[in-house]
Amino acid sequence: MRRFALTLGIAIGLGQPLMATAAEHENPIWNERTAAIGAVSSTPSGTLSRSELEQLTKTGEALFSAKFTTLDGAGRPRATQAIIPTKPRHAARLSFARTSGPDANACSSCHNDPVIGGAGDFATTTFVAEGFTLPDFDSTDPQFSNERGTNHLMGAGLIELLAREMTSDLHDQRRRAIEKARNTDAAVTIALETKGVSFGSLTARPDGLADLSKLEGVDADLVIRPFGQKGVIGSLRQFTINAMNAHHGMQASERFGRRWTASADFDEDGYEDELGVGDVSALVAWQATLPAPVQDFDGNEEWQTLAQKGRAVFNDLGCASCHIPALPLSSLEFADPGPLDAAGTLARGQVQDAAVYDLSLLDWARRLPRNEQGDVLVPLFGDLKRHTMTDAANERLGNELLAQRFVDRTSFATAELWGIGSTAPYGHRNDITTLDEMIRAHAGDARRSRDAYAAATDNDRRALIAFLRSLRIGGR
Amino acid sequence: MMSSSSNSLALKLALTLALALPVTSVSTLAMATGIEIAKAPPSAEAEFPFDTPSLTEQASEAGLDHVYDGPWEYFVGGGAASFDCNGDRMPDLLLAGGANPAQLFVNRSLAGGALEFQSQDLGLGQNRSTKVLGAYPIDIDNDAVTDVVLLRLGENLILKGLGDCEFAVANRSLGFDGGRAWSTGFSAIWEKDAKRPTLAIGNYVDQTAPGSPWGTCEDNTLHRPVGTEGTYEVTALTPGHCSLSLAFTDWNNSGQADLRITNDRQYHRGGQEQLWQMRSGSPPRLYRTAEGWKPLTIWGMGIAQADLNGDGMPEYALTSMGDTKLQTLAEEADETRPHYRDIAFDKGVTAHRPYKGADLKPSTGWHAQFADLNNDAHLDLFIAKGNVEAMPDFAAFDPDNLLMGNGADGFTERGAEAGIALDRKGRGAVIEDFNADGMLDLLVVNRGSPTSLFRNRGARADWGHRSMGNWLAIELQNTGANRNAVGAKIHIKTGNLNQTRIVQIGGGHASGQLGFVHVGLGVAERARVRVQWPDGEWSHEYRVFANNFTVIDRAEDSAQYWYPR
Repeated sequence: MRRFALTLGIAIGLGQPLMATAAEHENPIWNERTAAIGAVSSTPSGTLSRSELEQLTKTGEALFSAKFTTLDGAGRPRATQAIIPTKPRHAARLSFARTSGPDANACSSCHNDPVIGGAGDFATTTFVAEGFTLPDFDSTDPQFSNERGTNHLMGAGLIELLAREMTSDLHDQRRRAIEKARNTDAAVTIALETKGVSFGSLTARPDGLADLSKLEGVDADLVIRPFGQKGVIGSLRQFTINAMNAHHGMQASERFGRRWTASADFDEDGYEDELGVGDVSALVAWQATLPAPVQDFDGNEEWQTLAQKGRAVFNDLGCASCHIPALPLSSLEFADPGPLDAAGTLARGQVQDAAVYDLSLLDWARRLPRNEQGDVLVPLFGDLKRHTMTDAANERLGNELLAQRFVDRTSFATAELWGIGSTAPYGHRNDITTLDEMIRAHAGDARRSRDAYAAATDNDRRALIAFLRSLRIGGR
Repeated sequence: MMSSSSNSLALKLALTLALALPVTSVSTLAMATGIEIAKAPPSAEAEFPFDTPSLTEQASEAGLDHVYDGPWEYFVGGGAASFDCNGDRMPDLLLAGGANPAQLFVNRSLAGGALEFQSQDLGLGQNRSTKVLGAYPIDIDNDAVTDVVLLRLGENLILKGLGDCEFAVANRSLGFDGGRAWSTGFSAIWEKDAKRPTLAIGNYVDQTAPGSPWGTCEDNTLHRPVGTEGTYEVTALTPGHCSLSLAFTDWNNSGQADLRITNDRQYHRGGQEQLWQMRSGSPPRLYRTAEGWKPLTIWGMGIAQADLNGDGMPEYALTSMGDTKLQTLAEEADETRPHYRDIAFDKGVTAHRPYKGADLKPSTGWHAQFADLNNDAHLDLFIAKGNVEAMPDFAAFDPDNLLMGNGADGFTERGAEAGIALDRKGRGAVIEDFNADGMLDLLVVNRGSPTSLFRNRGARADWGHRSMGNWLAIELQNTGANRNAVGAKIHIKTGNLNQTRIVQIGGGHASGQLGFVHVGLGVAERARVRVQWPDGEWSHEYRVFANNFTVIDRAEDSAQYWYPR
């Protein structure tokens, strides 16, 4: 049984050639609206079959690739890029602006290297600003915004699933510590650790308070937010809604609609309810099912041999302490909305049943290795944790002026290295052209590994880079 | 004559009541007056796009069986105190009973679970637990255990909290003279550098005066601490105009709280609403007409204050019979001139008659409280309603109001949709998150019928209830005296929205609360919080994540998080 409804027009686009003539009347080829908008006319729920999931993700891909037009509601003349619906004091001077946005026509305008959903080079950097006090800026001066390169989204569903499980672990540890402190009437200090990653410690008090001053690399609410260079976005759904408004002026009703703003056309562009729940769900489903990057040598045995040595160097230099090669994931069932989404993003408490996308239905996911416990080993080369990336000797990665959502300007989430061989240039600003430069730019918490790399032999460095360049984005 | 706003389009109904009934019934008391009935406010019929909370009455299931009742003296009063009496940070309840005994209910609810209370003996005995009209929590002796002030017909009592929800009468040890009046209102503030709070007691009719009850209002009293321990010095606030609620308030954002009193014109003669200027070390004095104070006479029952327009100076909702007032400083006002104008009609909160049923007679309003019950970052206004007893010219079926903030336009009545339109005579109330689920619940003490306890289930959906906006709960811990930081202002910033909450003891109708301060955040997932402590000092910025209980200790750099059971 279908767990969501597709409207006729998009069903045609998805290869169901029924009543094509009628559909063409609805959506002729010359129509300048995006046909995929509104195609998912109900909120997906329950566990989708493979064919249902394919239908949904095809709609998601169409939305991700669509160059939104003013007939769709693109543009936000009376709304800023802010994640909270915010009116500017003055209407923006330009309908598009590469600085304060809207700065792109389609998601795929930037996320396209080497495939749709991939990364983008320096030409696609975006300028991240809160959008509250100075929403309309026409300068790249870092006093107004943080310049950010476009990350790839491959394997993003696995990343979010890992973050959910890690958050659940941390919350369980906190709950048990509080409970023990209450029961024993004594303070209890615990090490916070999940999937082998340490997040510092927490002291629970008998009165239910928690001393969080010793946390490391995670927010005070112990929620792992895996997305964004700073690790400040908790889910693909939240990210999608943020980005749709900021980059395209396409506003999702679940945040900008009447329920929260009393207006169906918050940005006052003449188009109401520009993106419905089903549209966002389709986008999430597509991103969540993007295949994980792989290791690939193009059949080049010399490369493979060198990369194998490089993998050992990677470990020897300590790179793997943060860029952990793989983290275990117990479930491949991706629920949308997720357990940590809150108001402003469709949340679990706002639907009767979440949709469940079983990633194990997908061929690429079935090929992922598993450990003895049956956990999927997600080869992300990351730890979903924030680290300080600068020190007094090297501030190259600390070249920003603005903190982002409570995160200090020198602190960044560990970049997952999977796919790095396909996504040059590097760094959070995409302004570093080689991996060698990128490694040498590390500092702060990565100082020891960075120095070890600098002191390594040329052959070891070459092997390491050969290894990194073998972490590539492949097909589905 | 009740004051009218120039744009209220008020209709005057001349009501002349028969005066033949015995004096033991308020319905018999003389009321020959003009009552203004406003036409339907502009927003009353407006569509309400935001969430309406589903409030389900379940007092009995929660183990909270209580009735406030009694003869004429208990037609007013019916208060509740909400506070933590056993150190678990969950709000417990002490309910006035009038002729019935006051009762203590210990909160046994689990986070997100069903509301559950357990009755526990107050330990006062029959004589002292009866004749209670109101209750306000306060930590008078600064020992981090909350005490309670009981307003009574006769001697008022300070119950010193001993922990584990046990109390002892402490009038003598605290040097407090409980008097012998008919007390109906309370407020407290720590004046400059004071180690103990100044207490204001609102009194109603002096029944011993010749000609009582008309024109025989009892003076209110101000109890100022003498020294750091010792006694309280009592000052009569003369004239008294039969007050039913009073509140210390920093009306001009000067850092100095004055005392606002609402008075019942039913019994005073030539009286009016009052604002007493309070200066440490000086006797209080009334603001005069020459200073901008505009005389206003209403059947004042309750006061609620909140800064609705973000100018740092609170607006005041004043409940009455007929129109509720909503006052804001007029253009002619300045920091020395408390000149107010009424915006109740403009904002849609006149709430002058029942919104449900066929009875179009005027309403009778009692407790008023601003709070965000749907977590949409817009304050809502709750008003307890109920006929005094059987006054024939006022609505008999008079449901409580839930006037929900609708953004810039004002408020929209959603009481019926929320489920609170019961046929009970509301008096005092508490809006509090009793089960630590992030949604404010509602307790209403009713005269002559069971106390109502509404659990907030979220917004109704086809399949059940759905979650509403994000929220934050904030507890302040001050250093030194005034540990609960009474008088502090909490500024919560999300995006460009600034919300303010005031930590206060007083106002409402005979009801008060102490504990976490609840803030709805709408779609914001984090907030920046600054505190202006009672001594005027501003804190640094605390960065906190939504949907959490946070504790801001003045001595700590970061906010702490609290986790309920």
